[in-house]
Amino acid sequence: MRSRAAAAILTRGGFKEVYSMEGGIHAWKGMVASGAPEAGIAYFPAESTPSELTALAWLLEDGTRKFYLEVASKLKDLETGSLFKELAALEGKHKEKLFAIHLAISAMAEDPEYPASVISFPSEGGYMEGGVEVGKALDWARERSPEEILEYALSLEINSYDLHLKMEERVKDPRAKEMFVSLAGEEKGHLLRLQDQFLKLMTAS
Amino acid sequence: MAILDYFRPVSTLPAERIRAFLNEKRMGEFNLLDVRQPQEYEQGHLPGAKLVPVGELESRLKELDPTKPTIAY
Repeated sequence: MRSRAAAAILTRGGFKEVYSMEGGIHAWKGMVASGAPEAGIAYFPAESTPSELTALAWLLEDGTRKFYLEVASKLKDLETGSLFKELAALEGKHKEKLFAIHLAISAMAEDPEYPASVISFPSEGGYMEGGVEVGKALDWARERSPEEILEYALSLEINSYDLHLKMEERVKDPRAKEMFVSLAGEEKGHLLRLQDQFLKLMTAS
Repeated sequence: MAILDYFRPVSTLPAERIRAFLNEKRMGEFNLLDVRQPQEYEQGHLPGAKLVPVGELESRLKELDPTKPTIAY
């Protein structure tokens, strides 16, 4: 899962031929890999507009927020649960920032249909980084340990970090640029917190 | 645009293909990256893999040759 995030970073960094190992180290050791829902790497068609990219970011923040909230309510490990709850609230704040930028760059006073006014999405349940449906990710998470869920969340955060930097490169508006950089920085902060918790559980077991 | 237009599948290789690849090639001909945490690396890693935790990867890209095939796990 983290290797997908790594592949995204390497590709953005200009690496020519990048592969991630299916199933990770578990597959190498001949163990059955319990992979997370299949996810892609974000890329932006040439014709995509700043509004569309902002809406995409908004939609993914919302999906991640829903996933974190639901996971937080199911986890038996209370410490991990409260971390996810806190992160969910932070993703909610990101949505507000993105919406404000949307209104600013499109010079609108309001947009009640947002983000459907800009981007279409077949599933009502929401989407997360990589284009994964929130419902599918939650189905996967149901039988997983807190460590596995934390690892998945790590890969989500590093991918959204990468996504925001890619978006920053694509937009011209200085306000939007600044916002994407700041969001990327915050996702990095989330990543470090998830990483700490992941290591804490790993060394405890 | 629809949401799924923004995502592309990642190129993945199954473990056995990677095993064959490592046997065929010499060490300096590719980058083999372990992007997990140091504690996980210590518990076991692929022979010759370089440890670069995913959170540090972007700032350490210079340590790697972008023209060589790169495998991450």
